[in-house]
Amino acid sequence: MSGTPRADTRPLSPHLQIWRPHLTMAASITHRITGVALYFGTFLITAWIVALATGAECYSTIEGLVTAWYGQIIMYLWAVAVLYHFANGIRHLLWDGPNIGFEPKTASAVSLFNYVFAFVGAAAIMAATIWL
Amino acid sequence: MVQLTLPKGSAPKKGKTWPKPQGATNLRQFKIYRYSPDEGGNPRWDTYWVDMDRAGTMILDVLLYIKNNVDPTLAFRRSCREGVCGSCAMNIDGQNTIACTKGFDELPGGVITIAPLPSQPVVKDLIPDLTNFYAQHAYVQPFLKTVTPEPEKEWKQSEEDREELNGLYECILCASCTTSCPSYWWNGDKYLGPAALLQAYRWLIDSRDEATGERLDDLEDPFKLYRCHTIMNCAQVCPKGLNPAKAIAKIKHMMVERVS
Repeated sequence: MSGTPRADTRPLSPHLQIWRPHLTMAASITHRITGVALYFGTFLITAWIVALATGAECYSTIEGLVTAWYGQIIMYLWAVAVLYHFANGIRHLLWDGPNIGFEPKTASAVSLFNYVFAFVGAAAIMAATIWL
Repeated sequence: MVQLTLPKGSAPKKGKTWPKPQGATNLRQFKIYRYSPDEGGNPRWDTYWVDMDRAGTMILDVLLYIKNNVDPTLAFRRSCREGVCGSCAMNIDGQNTIACTKGFDELPGGVITIAPLPSQPVVKDLIPDLTNFYAQHAYVQPFLKTVTPEPEKEWKQSEEDREELNGLYECILCASCTTSCPSYWWNGDKYLGPAALLQAYRWLIDSRDEATGERLDDLEDPFKLYRCHTIMNCAQVCPKGLNPAKAIAKIKHMMVERVS
């Protein structure tokens, strides 16, 4: 091995820097991100329940935050996270149980469906809460 | 560990732009990763112009055109030039594949980037060090293991049992799938990666093999098998159209079935 440089002087080839992303890769990282978001979203439910138990004054403060424009944005994104994680979770069950949905074309199509389902579904929920 | 950026000294810098070939009408621009251990320093992106009318039909032809006509110092592996040996696996236009079966007609417009297989130590230019990859293949013991005495003639298998191996035995070990996997990028030292696991399943499902239990034992830990998060990059890039993600899911299934 004389004259050969030590392996640790070798550079690491680029990975994320050059990778052309595709749907199943995006779907996987979105599943992880929405999972983390749901963890923090649980605090919102807790805050709401605690406010409900504390009394009318405290509850109206929380209600004010939720109905403000920034609160509405958070509620929308939270609904997206819930719906996406739900839909993609079912897909994980199909992968792990009957081992179906692995063909790249099928998997990409289902990923796209999950995104549409989450964003459109969350918009429908928001519209329903505003008008009803 | 997840490391989104490249370590110090690995980030490619802007390199040289090589002259355009004379009298060509059908030129295309290629951005190619260059690193030489003799020169040291950071890797660089060199720009080449290729006369597509004279370069053949595949990306491997582009590389040979450059090596023959523009820059003889460009280093890459190649052998069979027909998708059988797996030597010329590399990252072309952001996805791993073998250069010899990737045609010009599959390329999008604009500059085409060619880099070595992702997240591996680079020996030179487009040549990664695949020592770890081969060691992981050896770890799954990709050969027939039996306890019953060897038959006089051969180990027999029914047609149905043989069909189980379709979509598994065709793997040419080009490493496109393994080096496409983000889980492998972050935990390549502990996670076996799609190619080795596809081969593990190829022997797990083989009706003639009698070491199924031991083979499953060898995969039973938090990393070797279970770092697969079904990101599906492996199945998306495999130049032979195989599906390591599905094989891994089936191994996980076998793990569950043997304890229940």
